[in-house]
Amino acid sequence: MEPRSETERFTVPIGPQHPALKEPGHFRISVEGEIVTQAAVRLGYAHRGIEKGAEGRNWIRNQYLVERICGICSHIHATAYCLGVERLAKVEVPPRAQVIRVLVAELERIHSHLLWIGVAGHEAGFDTLFMYSWRDREAIMDVLEALTGNRVNYSANVLGGVKCDVDDALRDTILRTVDGLEKRTEHYLRVVTTDALFLQRTRGIGVMTRAQAEVLGAVGPTARASGVERDVRVEAPYAAYPSFPVRIVTDTRGDLEARVVVRVRELFECYRLVREILDHMPPGELHGRMPRRIPEGETISRVEAPRGELFYFLKSNGSDTPERVRVRTPTVCNMTSVVRLVVGHQLADVPMILAGIDPCFSCNDRVIDVERKGRAAEQWTWEQLRAYGVDTYHGHRP
Amino acid sequence: MDTVRNFFALVLFPSGLFLLAASLIYEWVDRKLLAQFQNRIGPRWFQPFADVVKLLSKEEVVPRGGSSALFLGLPVIGLAAALTAALYVPLAGLAPSFSFTGDLIVTIYLLSVLTLCMGLAGSNTIGRFSLVGATRTLTQLFSYEAPFLLALLGPALVAGSWQISEISQYAQSHWLILTQPIGFIVAVIGLMGKLELPPFDAPEAETEIVAGALTEYSGRGLALFRLGKGVEMVIGLTLVAAFFLGGVATPLLFLVKTLGLLVVVAGLQALLARLRIDQTVGLWWRYGVLLVFVQWLLIVVLREVRL
Amino acid sequence: MRLGAMLGDILPSLFRAPVTELYPFTRREPPTRLRGLLHWDRESCTGCGMCATDCPSQAIELFTYDKKAKRFVFELHVDRCTFCGQCAVSCRQGSLALTKGNWELAAFDRGTLDLHFGEKEDVDRVLRGDLPQAAPTAEPAGG
Repeated sequence: MEPRSETERFTVPIGPQHPALKEPGHFRISVEGEIVTQAAVRLGYAHRGIEKGAEGRNWIRNQYLVERICGICSHIHATAYCLGVERLAKVEVPPRAQVIRVLVAELERIHSHLLWIGVAGHEAGFDTLFMYSWRDREAIMDVLEALTGNRVNYSANVLGGVKCDVDDALRDTILRTVDGLEKRTEHYLRVVTTDALFLQRTRGIGVMTRAQAEVLGAVGPTARASGVERDVRVEAPYAAYPSFPVRIVTDTRGDLEARVVVRVRELFECYRLVREILDHMPPGELHGRMPRRIPEGETISRVEAPRGELFYFLKSNGSDTPERVRVRTPTVCNMTSVVRLVVGHQLADVPMILAGIDPCFSCNDRVIDVERKGRAAEQWTWEQLRAYGVDTYHGHRP
Repeated sequence: MDTVRNFFALVLFPSGLFLLAASLIYEWVDRKLLAQFQNRIGPRWFQPFADVVKLLSKEEVVPRGGSSALFLGLPVIGLAAALTAALYVPLAGLAPSFSFTGDLIVTIYLLSVLTLCMGLAGSNTIGRFSLVGATRTLTQLFSYEAPFLLALLGPALVAGSWQISEISQYAQSHWLILTQPIGFIVAVIGLMGKLELPPFDAPEAETEIVAGALTEYSGRGLALFRLGKGVEMVIGLTLVAAFFLGGVATPLLFLVKTLGLLVVVAGLQALLARLRIDQTVGLWWRYGVLLVFVQWLLIVVLREVRL
Repeated sequence: MRLGAMLGDILPSLFRAPVTELYPFTRREPPTRLRGLLHWDRESCTGCGMCATDCPSQAIELFTYDKKAKRFVFELHVDRCTFCGQCAVSCRQGSLALTKGNWELAAFDRGTLDLHFGEKEDVDRVLRGDLPQAAPTAEPAGG
């Protein structure tokens, strides 16, 4: 509740239903004229109870549940989960499987960044960029369909390895597609760095300094655009990344243009990785033998999703269903930066700044406990939860 | 006899039904061209007509908080103003139905009445998005109106008249795009600003304020406003083509020139990203006015030199 | 700084055909690995039921009337199936495969999406409601 002041407080609600948001989230933006004076965010519209649902399904079925936390980064969720479970079960995954996992992850990153370029263009009113980048994205989706069998939710992983193999014909298809996409990406890099009107919407907007990025806890390309050199594939390489090292892409300016440029340059890095992987595929099996009951223990799993660091905590009690699956997605970390950065900008910049962190609302809805000083931990009943969530709307101002 | 002729001109041809049908066709051509530029298919020929039929068949929801008389009346006034403006322009390559000295100013201001109605309609509500959109619409109106009018007055100056039919006659023998290229550019871009086409669609920026001033409109009101915008587009294209592209002597020339101009307008729509409202105002009041004054200076100087 | 950096894209597009494919008037050849409708091979099935246990959306139900004589009824709820392919991986006999032939599976009537495979009289028994005792639960693999 903000205190009333002399100047008229004019609140523009963005969301939960709004053409700017592809998924539901609520931003209360207070404006004076066109300048934003305050912003508040309310999430939770896409909460589905996945963590609770995971406790009622066995380890194998849970793979597919966590895959559907997000549509764009589904493979990386499944990878993080599988890596954690394999660590608990102390199962060695064959090298070829790890390499194929990384291959699909990089193809997914290409897909996600191309999608994001289109979304950023659309938010800026640059629909042509949107149409062309999504047209080129179809090539990657066709490749993923040829490799895994589905365009979205690839289900390439199994516990202990992967389901799908790469043969020579497929290898040639992938290389050809990557070559074509590389030319288009060079064109997009030119467009986003030279188009005068697009630059007017991105250059100097939403500047986040390196210090701010560290304090707000930003992750992924959003942080890398402010000069923070943080990439889980480099700091804590997992799967096959020790054999295929990644070069971090950073930028120092920290504005929206930097975020666009970082993602486009990461695409080039992905193409390089894909080529290197396809040239050095180790032979071998596709999956190891996995027990159905996972030994007791706890583990964490950190991976680099297209949006930033994805963190899994898995706890097993020795049975065939998990005791606890906890997911912390990158958008949760980046959301606070949006609320801080929009203050002082124009209303028209708010969708652009929001798009700049590459938000994935369906990823980020978890229940987060915030400990307050001096108050003991409490456990809410179903009725209390309902009162907090649903019944507040009865007192809500129209 | 005169009343019958007036009625015919206002309701059937060239204004009224003919103009409404023409506006639907031009809207389709615009959307189809935009799709072609973006390498996709675009809508089928009857899509704008289907949109209007659908909107007219939907329930009109009058929101609380504003005057419902204004809410229901403003779309009608706006469309009526746009249709009336058509009587003074050489639509379909024929001579304007009515003509008098100074009707250029009257036409431009009748077109502005439509924009004003949209701005008022947006202010006549307590919805946030409409209010922001209405502010932006009126701000944009104030910024492009002056340069646009001045650019159109360039041909008026050389033709020595403020009557559209006379300017159009004069333009038939002089291709003013060659002698007043700067004025032509300002006129085309001013037209895009008037029609709120990208890159000047900040007043109805879908990703920021849903639908701007028309957010609360649905059903019949929205249909009438959309028809008004379509009519405005046809009239605007006719004016610019008649003044700068060598007049519209016959229906065929009218079709060719206005559609050619539409190709350019659609191309600009596809090419350029959206400008923020403050950038639009800055652009117009810095470069737009400057260019128009340069153009006027050139006209005056060249006339002196020739004389 | 250029005005209109995408001019090189939009101008040629004016003279090219659109890239949109007019489905359903033109259909693409589905890729070999497309995960379409499930196919169950009766001969090799041993009735272990791992597919039903591991299905994330409980789309498979296996009814066993006589395990030795291989009298099974395999019920597939196509509307629940997510086409993930886990059943094919879990089956140790390789009786299951997701085929690429049938992928246009939308229907107006939910009833048509409950498929039953097996001997006709067994299927009739299931449809009548005359079910055997619960399908055998999967034994955990050793190790």
